[in-house]
Amino acid sequence: MKTILKYTAALLAMAFALAPIYWLITISLKTEIDQFASPPLWFHFTPTLRHYEGIFAHDAFGRYFLNSLIVSTCSTLIALALGLPAAYGLARFHWPGDWANGISFWILSNRMLPPIVTIIPMFLMLREVRLLNTLAGLILVDVALNLPFVVWMMRGFVEDLPREIEEAAMLDGESRLGVLLRIVLPLVRPGLAATAVFCLIVAWNEFLFALILSQTESAMTLPVGIASHVTQYEIQWGAMSAAGVVAILPVLIFASAAQRYFVRGLSLGAIK
Amino acid sequence: MTRRVPPGLIWVAPAMVVLAALSIYPLLYLVKVSISDARGFTLAHYARLFQDRLFMVAAGQTLLYALAALALEFFFGLALALLVDSLAHGRALVRVSLLAPMLLPPVVAAVIWRLIYNPEFGVLNGMLRQLGFHTQSLTWTSGRNSAMLSVILVDVWQWTPFMFLLLTAGLQAIPSEPLEAARVDGAGYWRTLRDVVLPLLKPTILLALLLRSMDLLRIFDQIFILTQGGPGSATETVSLYIYRTAFRFSNFGYAAAMSFVGLVITTLAARSLMRLIKTS
Repeated sequence: MKTILKYTAALLAMAFALAPIYWLITISLKTEIDQFASPPLWFHFTPTLRHYEGIFAHDAFGRYFLNSLIVSTCSTLIALALGLPAAYGLARFHWPGDWANGISFWILSNRMLPPIVTIIPMFLMLREVRLLNTLAGLILVDVALNLPFVVWMMRGFVEDLPREIEEAAMLDGESRLGVLLRIVLPLVRPGLAATAVFCLIVAWNEFLFALILSQTESAMTLPVGIASHVTQYEIQWGAMSAAGVVAILPVLIFASAAQRYFVRGLSLGAIK
Repeated sequence: MTRRVPPGLIWVAPAMVVLAALSIYPLLYLVKVSISDARGFTLAHYARLFQDRLFMVAAGQTLLYALAALALEFFFGLALALLVDSLAHGRALVRVSLLAPMLLPPVVAAVIWRLIYNPEFGVLNGMLRQLGFHTQSLTWTSGRNSAMLSVILVDVWQWTPFMFLLLTAGLQAIPSEPLEAARVDGAGYWRTLRDVVLPLLKPTILLALLLRSMDLLRIFDQIFILTQGGPGSATETVSLYIYRTAFRFSNFGYAAAMSFVGLVITTLAARSLMRLIKTS
């Protein structure tokens, strides 16, 4: 009896979590008539790919998708390139007193800044240097968003490695840079990949910065593109939900690649 | 006397310089904007803050939103973590399914719930009609009284998985000896939970609450898509109000003053929570 109750509760929770996503997918596959049918059609409708064809025929949508891809990839790569050496430096060098922790916490505190606080000066500064409505401006702010995370996560991953291999290599005359590139990097690759995936998701999902910094169609990212269509064409449910599904897919692919490190990433490395 | 520069600094310096340029400098710039107007130095923006009723309303509602969502997400997250942990079969499947909402871009999550909440064509009222309810008065996000509850529900849907996941990890890290000892002593489920499990889980709980409340206090995306702060100002939050002040009304000085005050308050709140975590 108790067991049945438990499984029922678990199933209900799963249904509550998944039904809205399932509903989005069905709407994106339904004709207008089926979308507005009452009572709602959960399973029995004739699927159509019209809405998907529609959004991909629309030039702007392909543009948003490409922009999102460029911004999230570039900002992730830059954050990794800056963050990995920093993490290595904090994990492996001798620091006076509590410097290593102090610097780490200062770096992490940047992550805690609410976006609405940084966006106002960022907007004004980027306007002065004419980087508004460019992908470069957006990449820059996303680097600021992800860099603290990279340092914090990678420091933990490097500290997890045994020191002995590195020390042996240095006795053999390997330079610090050589140790980082030839020994640490291959060993830390799973952690690095997981960290990269987290950065990609954060940048891909990011909305507020993109909303303010890219207001022209040529620089809009996918979430901003979707948002602008929500308010413009409220009634185009098919296009809206098809765009939504397309925006979800990359995240699911990224996420399944990093499942094992989820908790570690979400807790900023605090839980291993 | 010369002090040696720590040798690791050269490795960390590039990241620190970039972060300083992208956060410290903007923060100083923010303060500067908040204390100047067309004629020069002024404290008028800060003075205005204390007389602005809408700011107070937005601050109160942000707090209400954050506390309500935090309490619900924590309660359901903990309950689900305990429940799934006690299942004999299918744990992995349940966990993966419960994770899904958290991964969606918040904008897409909000779009989904617009489809669901739509009073005429939404699936929610559709299902209620099927069950024989009258739904004319159920306007969800567009109703003055129901809007706040409706946006909170979306947050609970999307972010309970976060609590669930962190608390699940915390549960799995609890060593089996104290649980065994409690069982040997004849303690029942609830006593074990109260006297053994929860105290051991406390650091994880505090961490999860800290991380989540930081995100809740800056809530923007979902509300922007769902209600734009309306109807009237029923779902106005601080982030939305600052956004509108700066980017709709171009009043950067006042928006900067509001964000600076908001930053100070959230930083103090985060610090006291962090101290709690460190001492426990």
